[in-house]
Amino acid sequence: MRNAFIIIKKELRRVFTDKRLIFTIIILPGLAIYLMYSFIGNAIGNTIEDVEEHTMSIYTEHMPLVLQEAIKDTESDVIFTDAKSVPLSLLKEKIKAGDIDLYIAFPPDFTERITAYEDAATTIPTVTIIYNNGERYSESTYYKVQTALNNYASSINYDRFGDAMYPFMQETTISVDEDKASGQQIAGLLPLLIIMFLFTGAMSIGPDSIAGEKERGTIATLLVTPINRSDLAIGKVLSLSIISLLSAISSFTGILLSLPKLLNQEDTLTANIYQLQDYFLIFITLLATTFVIVGMISMVSAFAKTIKEASMLILPFYFLSIITAMSTMFAPEPASDLVLYLIPIYNTINVLIRILTFDVASIHVILLVVSSLGYTGILIYIINKLFSSEKIMFSK
Amino acid sequence: MKQNLIVENITKTFKLSKKQQKLKHTHKKTITACDGISFTAHQGEIYGLLGPNGAGKTTALRIISTLIKPDSGYVEVGGSDIFNESKEVRRKIAFLTSELKLEDHFTPNYLFTYFAKLHNLDEKLINQRKEALFRRFGINPFKEVKVSDLSTGMKQKTSIAISLVHDPEFIIFDEPTNGLDVLTAKNVTDYLLELKNQGKTIILSTHILSVVEKLCDRVGIIINGKMLVNDTLKNISHSDNYIDLETLFFDLIEEHKGVE
Repeated sequence: MRNAFIIIKKELRRVFTDKRLIFTIIILPGLAIYLMYSFIGNAIGNTIEDVEEHTMSIYTEHMPLVLQEAIKDTESDVIFTDAKSVPLSLLKEKIKAGDIDLYIAFPPDFTERITAYEDAATTIPTVTIIYNNGERYSESTYYKVQTALNNYASSINYDRFGDAMYPFMQETTISVDEDKASGQQIAGLLPLLIIMFLFTGAMSIGPDSIAGEKERGTIATLLVTPINRSDLAIGKVLSLSIISLLSAISSFTGILLSLPKLLNQEDTLTANIYQLQDYFLIFITLLATTFVIVGMISMVSAFAKTIKEASMLILPFYFLSIITAMSTMFAPEPASDLVLYLIPIYNTINVLIRILTFDVASIHVILLVVSSLGYTGILIYIINKLFSSEKIMFSK
Repeated sequence: MKQNLIVENITKTFKLSKKQQKLKHTHKKTITACDGISFTAHQGEIYGLLGPNGAGKTTALRIISTLIKPDSGYVEVGGSDIFNESKEVRRKIAFLTSELKLEDHFTPNYLFTYFAKLHNLDEKLINQRKEALFRRFGINPFKEVKVSDLSTGMKQKTSIAISLVHDPEFIIFDEPTNGLDVLTAKNVTDYLLELKNQGKTIILSTHILSVVEKLCDRVGIIINGKMLVNDTLKNISHSDNYIDLETLFFDLIEEHKGVE
């Protein structure tokens, strides 16, 4: 193991004495994620605000005043224009062009027909609406008008039938554990992102660390020293794990800080809902998963002849992990069968969801850690064999 | 006990990929890089391995240095065999080939210490060896310069110093003067003579026949994986029809052209 530590020290020195690598591997992931997600969140927030602040332009024909008042009562400003003198084709063009948000036409005898509803000869009046669902303002106006129309229809029914129309009263109280609700939202996105960034962090340095040494010929310099191949494998995997973990922590911090902005819930969604022990469990989960992912990437890198080949060969593992992560994200509940917590990556996602939703038991974390260490051991054994294989190490 | 390096009847066959078959203009699926090669390098001698490109010299040297295993045969380095005591063999040898490279990001000073630690040398010994080798090869002026910023000659000097970090008994150098200017090349060959005089066993693979004539006690000529000549330089020069080493070498190449 002494030689493994010498190799770890050298590999870490390689990164920590290079300002460019420190920035790209450790600082940039978190910073980039924070800035990117904050920007996306702000953009979404601005769009919503912009729609809210937009003054709706509605062209009407015979619109009842009570309905106009109901629409004016919504938070947005509105301008009603009488459309009688405007040809319908021109109105349609203007709606298509975004100059008008909506056209709504009532029959001239709308009120009379509503009032005379008991007369068998009276037909139900039709309200004509034209809007553009490819245009944000128009679509938002449509939903507001729809709501006003539905409320108006309800009020007409109430006038006609009184309470008999709705035979019971409702009283709804929301009882929610705010932290758990916030946790559910964070758990809906965070585990997938963590797997993605763990992989990309390890992929940014893994191929160069082993396949790069083969490509440059520096691995042979190491192989003619009297160190054990297993020390070399352990040294490479552990050093890469440390660097990848730092990269993952950077990404994790970036995600956690920017998630409230991304989901536009800066007031309600906060990372403060988690205690120190939750973060400790997350760290343990990340560490164990990092070992497995780095082990996989190191194995592929040891097998590949060049950095390019290693990067290509890693992609199927990456996609498989993402698919596993995504399928778990869409499951209604985290896995309950403990055996499933032995499956790499799948167990990471499930344990993370459980930690983030305050539903984790020690056995889940123990199974993940023990199985991950087992897989890492197997992967190191394979890497050790690959380092000993002349065909793998020296074939051109 | 004499620290000899014994190579007995080693063979090594490689599979050829389609790309390699095309490059070598052959339909054969395998190539025999070493075909029953045997020789002994005696302690305090320099053994010169000669042969054209692709003759099998590097494969033989890689087998001796435990980087690859032969299909058959036996190699013993100072009493340790490469199959069962490979770690011990690696402890005893310095191996330098043109394919052994140094990491660009580090300085000669750091890499020397790094490899010394991998050879389990203590701090005091590391500093002694560093001082001696860096002075001998003139590395001190650029010892803190990154490898990426060094010239080919500086890199080669650093590689030689690093390969000798543990003061090994057996030195296996493949083309050590490749790409070096005349002064640096002379520095290296002079040092090899010094090592020989210290009782080290040296195997030297080179294309430069004048270097062989100047340095080597014994010579082996490999062509198409076969050892065609294996004798002392003295005996070779006294053989019938001998003109010089260069003529002998080119005659052998001509004789075995197209023969595999």
